[in-house]
Amino acid sequence: MTRSPYSSPASRRQFLALSGGALAATALAAAGCSAPDDGASTADAADASEGSKTLTRIGLDYPFTQLPLYSTLVKLSTAAAKKHDVSLLTTSDAGNPDTQATNLTTWITQKMPAIVSFPMVFEATEAMAKRALDAGLIWVTYGGSLEHQSADIQFSFLEGGTLLGEAAAKWANEQLGGKGKVAFLTDGTIQLGRERTKGMIDAFTKNAPGVDVVAREQAIDPDTGLSKSRAVLAKHPDLNLILGVTDAAAYGGFKALQQTGRKATDAKTFVGGQDGAAPSLLAIKQGTFYRASAALAPKDIANAVVDVPLAVAAGKANPSVQVPITLVGRGDTATIDDLLAQNS
Amino acid sequence: MTTATTAPTNRLTPRPRALAAGGLNSVRRNPLLVVLALMVLVFQLTTGSFLDPGNLSGIAIDAATLAIVAVPLALLVISGYLDLSVGSTLAVGGLVAGWLAGQQHQPPLVAVLGALAVGAAVGAVNGILCCYLGLSAFIVTLGMLTAVRGLAQQLFPLPLSSFGSGFAWLGGSRIAGIDAPVVIAALVLVAGALFLALTPAGRHVFAIGVNREAAYLSGINIRRTPFALFVVTGVAAALAGAIKASVLDSVVAGTSGAGFELTVLTAVLLGGVALTGGSGSVFGVLLGVLFLGCLQNGLTLLSVPTFWQQMAQGTALVAGAALAYFGPRLTR
Repeated sequence: MTRSPYSSPASRRQFLALSGGALAATALAAAGCSAPDDGASTADAADASEGSKTLTRIGLDYPFTQLPLYSTLVKLSTAAAKKHDVSLLTTSDAGNPDTQATNLTTWITQKMPAIVSFPMVFEATEAMAKRALDAGLIWVTYGGSLEHQSADIQFSFLEGGTLLGEAAAKWANEQLGGKGKVAFLTDGTIQLGRERTKGMIDAFTKNAPGVDVVAREQAIDPDTGLSKSRAVLAKHPDLNLILGVTDAAAYGGFKALQQTGRKATDAKTFVGGQDGAAPSLLAIKQGTFYRASAALAPKDIANAVVDVPLAVAAGKANPSVQVPITLVGRGDTATIDDLLAQNS
Repeated sequence: MTTATTAPTNRLTPRPRALAAGGLNSVRRNPLLVVLALMVLVFQLTTGSFLDPGNLSGIAIDAATLAIVAVPLALLVISGYLDLSVGSTLAVGGLVAGWLAGQQHQPPLVAVLGALAVGAAVGAVNGILCCYLGLSAFIVTLGMLTAVRGLAQQLFPLPLSSFGSGFAWLGGSRIAGIDAPVVIAALVLVAGALFLALTPAGRHVFAIGVNREAAYLSGINIRRTPFALFVVTGVAAALAGAIKASVLDSVVAGTSGAGFELTVLTAVLLGGVALTGGSGSVFGVLLGVLFLGCLQNGLTLLSVPTFWQQMAQGTALVAGAALAYFGPRLTR
C-alpha cells in the first residue's frame, strides 16, 4: 500500500503555536546573527575607559539598515576607522527598537570599548547608556543627546527642514507672487521626522503665508509619496509645491506630478526633499522642477562616527560635533557631484 | 491516474467556489461588494472628486500591482499554502529589472524577463521546500522574506534610478487608452478566474486545499500544482516590482515592497479566501484589492490626519473582514 506524503491539516491551535514559535525563532536568530564579532579580549574594555589613549574597536549601532545611507555610512566609516587602525563593528537592528536594545545589551556585556548609537527611542536608551558608562565604556549618542553619554554627534534636523521650507517659500514668493498650493509629505513616527517636519512646515508657512496648505500626509518612501501625491493631485490638480520630509517621499511626489502631465521643467512647480538621496540630486542637476534638497554629507557623518569616540578616548575637551546640513539647488553642481561621489 | 477532480464537501468544510455567479448571488457571496459601493458613494459625496477619471486612474495603477500578486497568492492560499516572501521578491524583481535596464542598458524586454527569472527562482525555492520537502510554508516564506531582502540589500546597497524611456513604457504607457499596469492586472485576473473555473488543475487547487489526503487518494498530484503556484506567485511579485520600478523610475533595496506581503495577504483574506484553504474566488480578491485601494485614496482625499487615518483603515478592515465572514452565513 502506498503511504500518502501529505501531513494532516494543522489545527488552528497548532497554527498559532507554529506561528508563535516561528516568530520566537526568528527573533532569537536575529539576535544571534547580529551579535557582534568578539574580536578583542575583555581587557580592551578596561583600556578603553574615558581618558585612555588607545581604542581598537568602535561599535556603530545605526538601526535604519533599510536606508541607502546605511551602507554608505558603514563603508565610509570603516575606511575612516582603518586610517586610525581601529576596527568598526556594526549591529543589524533592521529598524526594530527591541532588536536594537538586544544588540546594545550584547555589546555592553561584551564590553565593546566605544559605542556610537542612534537610539530609536531616546528615553528607552537612557538606562542602556548609563550601564555602558558604568562599565567604563565610551558612549556616543548619534542624532541627539542623552543624559548619560560621553559625547554626541548632533544633526540639526530642525534646521534641515527650515532650510528647505525657507527656500521653497522664497521660490513661491518670487515665482508665484506668494500665492499657490503646497502639500507636505511628513513623518510623525520618529523624533528625526518630527523635527524635520516641524522645521519645514513652520519655515514655509511663516515665509509664504499666502500659499494654501492643502495636504499634510505621512510619507517617507517613494511608493507612499507617489500614491499620496496622486490623491492630492486629484483634488488639487493645480498644486504648485510638494515638500518632503525625505527625498525618497518627495521623489514619489515628483513622479506623481509628471504622471499627471506636468512637464519635468515646469516653471510653476517646486519639489524639494531632505537627505541628499542620489535620485533626487540627479533630478536637481538635470534642471527639473525637483529644485532642492537639504543634504547631509555622508563623509562628514562617517568621520564624526570615528573621530568623536577617538577624541573621547584621548580625553579631549568638548569632543561632540555638529554635522552640517547643506541646502543644494540647481546651481550647486560641484556640491551635487561631490555628494553623488560620496554616495557611489 | 486521476480519477476524481472534485473535493469532498460536508457541513464543516466550505464548498469550493469558482467565479461567482452574477446578480444577487454575487452580492450574497461577496458582501464586500456592498461595502465597496457604499464607500465609493460616501467618498464621492464628501470629496466631490473621488470618481474623477484622474483619481480613478491613480487608484487603478496602485491597485494593479496589488492585484497582479494577489491573484496567484490567492490560488496558493486556496490550495492550503502561503507565501510571505512576496514583498522582498517584489523588491528584488524591481532591482534586477532596473539594474538591467539602467546600468546594463539591456532592452526593456530583457530587463523584465531577468526580473521574472529571479522571481521564478525565489518561488521555486519556496515550492521545493514546502511542497516536496514538506516544510511549513509559514516558516519557509517568512525566512525567505528576510533572506531575499538581505540579499537584495547586499547586491544593491544604493538606490537605482534613471532606467530610460524604453523601460518607462511598462509603467507609464497606455494600451487602448488604459494604463499598461491596469491592462496587465486585468489579464492576470481573467487568467486566474478562468484557471479556477475551467481547468482541472483549478479544481485540484480547491481539492488540495479542502483535504489534502482525500485529494491524494483521488489521484491528484498534490505537490506539482502548489509548486507551480509558488513559482507563479514569485514571477508575479517580480513583475509587480518591475512595474513599480518603471512607474517610479527608481528602486531602493531596503524599502521597496516593505510590508507589501501583509497588504496583499489582507486583500486576499478580505476577498473571502479562507486562510485554511479550500475556499475563495478571484472576484472576491478583486473586491479586496479595490477595497484597500479606495480606502487609502479616499482617506487621503478627505485629508484625514495620519493617525486617524491608520485607525480608520484598521477599523474598516476589521469591519470588512467581519462582513465577509458573517455575511454569507446570515443570508444562507
